[in-house]
Amino acid sequence: MAANKIALFGKTRRLESEIDDFLDTVSQGGILFEETLRHYIDKGPDEFFEQRQQQISDIESNGDRLVKGIVRSLYSEMLIPESRGDVLSLLQDMDYLLDQFEKICFCVDVERPEVGDVSADLRKSFQDLAHVAVAAVEDLIRSVRAFFRDFNAVRDHLHKVHLLEEEADRLSLYLKRELFRSEFPLSRKLHLRQFIDMVDGIADEAEDVADRLAIYTIKRSL
Amino acid sequence: MDFAVMIFLSSGLFLGWSLGANDASNVFGTAVASQMVRFTTAAVVCSLFIMLGAVFSGAGAAHGLGALGSLNTLPGAFMAAFSAALTVLWMTRLGLPVSTTQAVVGAIIGWNLFSGSLTDLGVLSKIVATWVACPLLGALFGAILYKLMVMLIAWSKIHLLRLDAYTRWGLILAGAFGSYSLGANNIGNVMGVFVSASPFTDFDVGDVFTFTSVQQLFFVGAIAIAVGVFTYSKRVMMTVGSSLLPLNPQAAWVVVVAHSLVLFLFSSVSLEHFLASRGLPTIPLIPVSSSQAVVGAVIGIGIMHGGKGIRSLRWRVLGNIASGWVTTPIIAAVLCFFSLFILQNVFDQKVYQTVEYRLSPEVVQHLKGAGVSTEPYGAVVGETIAGSKRFRLHLQEQAGADPDQLQQIVGASEIYPTRIDPGKLQALREANRGYLSGVQLASIEHLEGRSFSHKWQLAQALEAQSNSWKFREKTTLNKIYNGQLQERLGYVMEHFHQDD
Repeated sequence: MAANKIALFGKTRRLESEIDDFLDTVSQGGILFEETLRHYIDKGPDEFFEQRQQQISDIESNGDRLVKGIVRSLYSEMLIPESRGDVLSLLQDMDYLLDQFEKICFCVDVERPEVGDVSADLRKSFQDLAHVAVAAVEDLIRSVRAFFRDFNAVRDHLHKVHLLEEEADRLSLYLKRELFRSEFPLSRKLHLRQFIDMVDGIADEAEDVADRLAIYTIKRSL
Repeated sequence: MDFAVMIFLSSGLFLGWSLGANDASNVFGTAVASQMVRFTTAAVVCSLFIMLGAVFSGAGAAHGLGALGSLNTLPGAFMAAFSAALTVLWMTRLGLPVSTTQAVVGAIIGWNLFSGSLTDLGVLSKIVATWVACPLLGALFGAILYKLMVMLIAWSKIHLLRLDAYTRWGLILAGAFGSYSLGANNIGNVMGVFVSASPFTDFDVGDVFTFTSVQQLFFVGAIAIAVGVFTYSKRVMMTVGSSLLPLNPQAAWVVVVAHSLVLFLFSSVSLEHFLASRGLPTIPLIPVSSSQAVVGAVIGIGIMHGGKGIRSLRWRVLGNIASGWVTTPIIAAVLCFFSLFILQNVFDQKVYQTVEYRLSPEVVQHLKGAGVSTEPYGAVVGETIAGSKRFRLHLQEQAGADPDQLQQIVGASEIYPTRIDPGKLQALREANRGYLSGVQLASIEHLEGRSFSHKWQLAQALEAQSNSWKFREKTTLNKIYNGQLQERLGYVMEHFHQDD
């Protein structure tokens, strides 16, 4: 029995570190996503952009693998019976955000939107939008970490996610308004708007996950 | 092995099965219902530790006779155990956690009513006290422990998964200890009455360990309990663990620990002795029962959640559980009474042996020495009356009575013939294995050939032989010593008792 006990705590520690690794992966994905987008806006689709895009793709695959392993362990070991469903949804939501980072970079690579002749102000605002969206995901990751270790602190991070989502909405609205006031043909306006919506969508999704996390936290509060 | 003994033993096994089916919920109900421990894991751990508790810490032979020992024929004991088992089975089918001990006591009351024996009213008041005090204490301990645990978790910032792992092991460990105590404390109820009729003989396992006949008997009883756990305990587990209030895993652990603490603090003579021996104030001992303490702890946690928790408590389930507590001893008593009637009149079995009472001049003298005046009962002296109830009524007709004095007179007047028979003495020597000390055994040997009519006469004769048979002053510190001495004295009396 003693051996089993040690093995069981060993498994627990391994799973804890896998969850931490997964959240690190999502965070890395966010940082790379912001950097890749920033680079594309400044320099266009060069070799560096393609390298970064490949890196994000690898990170996304790693995230998928980690989530699958964690979920399998949670269910096969019958761990955290009360919170298992919530933890599963949470991890899948985080994985979805990671997928979005990859998906947007993939779209940029395939569609190659032209940004060279867009005004410096708009390009800067677009980079800011990406920064704010990634910051919302970063704060969401902090909340998720707190959910596992210190659920009383979850709220402290969640309110920042809401603030950042509002900021992302404001930036997105500004970008779209300026874009449609410009002299670009409608097809370009619509094309660029699609990317603005996609990046803003990351902040929206982070906020939705934050709302669900708030409910899981209430359920977990003893 | 006598076939009749086999038949009678079956009711003990049936009672064991019912006990396993019902009482396992106290130790593993919350763990299983909160999905922290699989039912199979719980059943294996529970059964294993019940067996260990029953075999290695099961109340000794004399003590085992305690609860059902007053039943003086095997058919009577069979029916009492059967009625208690049937009552517990009924409650288990309804999914209600009840006290098996209370069912047994109820059945004994049924037997007392049938046989015209007196029922100690103290026993009844103890049962009623358990229904009230135990849930209250359980609730108090449950609420305090839960609050402390919530604070500890918030302070330690423990990872959800690690908390889960610790809670799981905590539940298994607490369940294992609880199962061990369950086996140790209840095997007497299940098998105690059959100790004197044990069909087994001692055997040695190498030079290491002797498996006594009593241990073998208790082992068989423990197997019956284990079968009850495996086959029928899940429903009551779910009532305790989720029907009353859905519990999170940590609350599930708090319930098991709170119930164990209540049982330990308020019923442990050893703890009382430990505190008294260090000059510390002792905790008053009160009658406690696992089922009631567990339900109390669940309620306590519900209350700790405030209005939300109180609303979440399913009061209808609680009402059913409480009504189960009240009806269990009553049903067992009624069932036992009518079953004894059938057993006696249809199957022509002797379900009780009439006990006679005589306020002889020796008894009068003995009571005088103890400060009990028998003057008002002069007309009864020398008269032999069958049945304690009739004898007591007869005494009451003579004079208005102080219940305590009456109790003493009835106790001292009971005719309980014993003879220190050489054959039985030899059997005692062989079966002793250190239960009685050498000095105690030597004092019995000195009395070889002598006969006694009353229990107190044998006790006095032994006391005159050696101080090892002398009771100490009634103090908290001496409680354990006097209790053990009383057990041994009871064992000796039972051993040398002449039935006819």
